[in-house]
Amino acid sequence: MSATTGPVAINTFREAVRDRVLYNLIFFALVMIGAAIIVGQISIGIERLVIINLGLSAISIVGLVMAIFIGVGLVSKEMEKRTLYSLLAKPIRRWEFLVGKYAGLLLTLGVNTSFMTLGLAAALFYVGPPYVRSDATVLVAVYFILLELALVTALALFFSCFSSPMLSTLFTLGIYITGVFAQDIRNFGELTGNPALRAATKALYYLIPNFHNFNAIATAAHGGSIPFQLVAQNTLYAALYVALLLVAASAVFSGRNLK
Amino acid sequence: MSLPSQKRALWAAIVGVPLLFAAITALQTRIDARTRTEAQQKEELLLRSPAAVQKLSLGYDALVADIYWTRAVQYYGTRVGTEGATFDSLWPMLDICTTLDPKLVVAYRFGAIFLSEPGEGGAGRPDLAIELVKRGIAANPTEWHLNADLGFLYYWRMRDYHASSVAYLEGSKNPKAPPWLKMMAARVEEKGGSLETSRMIWSEIYDGTRDPTIRDRAAKMLRGLKAEEDELHLDELSAEYQKRFGRYPASTGELRSAGLLPGIPVDPEGYPYVIGPDGKSKLNPQSPVEIPKQPKGPPPPTK
Repeated sequence: MSATTGPVAINTFREAVRDRVLYNLIFFALVMIGAAIIVGQISIGIERLVIINLGLSAISIVGLVMAIFIGVGLVSKEMEKRTLYSLLAKPIRRWEFLVGKYAGLLLTLGVNTSFMTLGLAAALFYVGPPYVRSDATVLVAVYFILLELALVTALALFFSCFSSPMLSTLFTLGIYITGVFAQDIRNFGELTGNPALRAATKALYYLIPNFHNFNAIATAAHGGSIPFQLVAQNTLYAALYVALLLVAASAVFSGRNLK
Repeated sequence: MSLPSQKRALWAAIVGVPLLFAAITALQTRIDARTRTEAQQKEELLLRSPAAVQKLSLGYDALVADIYWTRAVQYYGTRVGTEGATFDSLWPMLDICTTLDPKLVVAYRFGAIFLSEPGEGGAGRPDLAIELVKRGIAANPTEWHLNADLGFLYYWRMRDYHASSVAYLEGSKNPKAPPWLKMMAARVEEKGGSLETSRMIWSEIYDGTRDPTIRDRAAKMLRGLKAEEDELHLDELSAEYQKRFGRYPASTGELRSAGLLPGIPVDPEGYPYVIGPDGKSKLNPQSPVEIPKQPKGPPPPTK
């Protein structure tokens, strides 16, 4: 990160905090407390499972909503408020601005996710028994959610470089949903038996980000283990995809006529 | 906005918002009253396809599985013990929740109970219970409890002692399985249907779980089996009495007077047994003990 992206990132984080986006933590806390109290009364044998499933799902959903809705406004908001022009008049390159914006939102999501993870840990402590070794998988699942959010943020930022916030939201959401079904898309091509369609769906499978990779919620809930190799592979996958999107976004944004 | 008008707006909100909420609540109650009958008649499940629910869950399969499991528990809980109640949606709910989360062992174990219990106690579908548990074993090969559950279902619900023995034996191959599974496999194969074997199975169920629901059920069964054993013993003594005195005893007191019993025998709940005119002993009508239907003869018909 260059010296100029840091201040942009910090200011993006400050702006998000000023916009009270961290208020969602109150909602999350209420959901966790409610679940911890209610589930034991209305179900059988899944108190701990529900806390983990609900907690991780809430972290993921809240994070996704933030990543998409804040991500698509990262550039357009600066243009609307005309702050982008004064910023770009300073010695900062456009890609540095974009990377700074991206890092700022990622920082916001990271802080938000960390607080929610603490809430989840507190809820787990409440339902007992005390933490066990397999609970470490929950932290890996949270890390995977962060990787997923990093990817979604990069997607939102990429679309926001050449499209309106509304369209960027739709595009990002569309790619996310398609990415969740990546495996099914490839299977669909296999089922048709048509070589052209098979090749097309296979290409699409590799082209769109595979969000299914980052889903470790069920494994974490059942105390399963996640091999370190998978953690490393997913990290690399997310890093490569984010790099690809940021390079593409920078190219689009650099070529954009802002007059 | 001037200060007085601001105050007016504030007061209007303080008074108006609760009033409007009250009106909305009253209206909703009326709407509910009109539509409840219609809603109750509708099937509990809009989507019966596990694959469709899985797609719609957008990757949050585990959470949706928990929701479906809770729904299944609630569905069963609101119907169990109700005369004429049907459990038509129970299997689809369990099918969906175990497809969404194949590791949800609790759904296989309790789901099998919900499905297999006869009469008002459940769906009376031991065949589906067996299918569910077999699916659970395939998805969770290290969970020997599921093999034990399968053995129990074959033994108690299907009266298929060989299949039961095979299930126990399969479970015993699991390195984590306790030694009693192997013993049970041999026992069931050799003496399926005997009171002793039934008691052994329920004792292991009782000892093998910390779940209060299952423990209560097993304890109830064990009390019933103990009462059945007592009755068999009393029947023998009654026959002995008949041989000596040419008539059946009218009560357990007469058995004691004849020196056949050291005292008045009581059932596990403390109620004395009664003896009928045919010399057969019975539970006291006031006793809460229930003698379980022993698995004998051909398997029961499924609903």
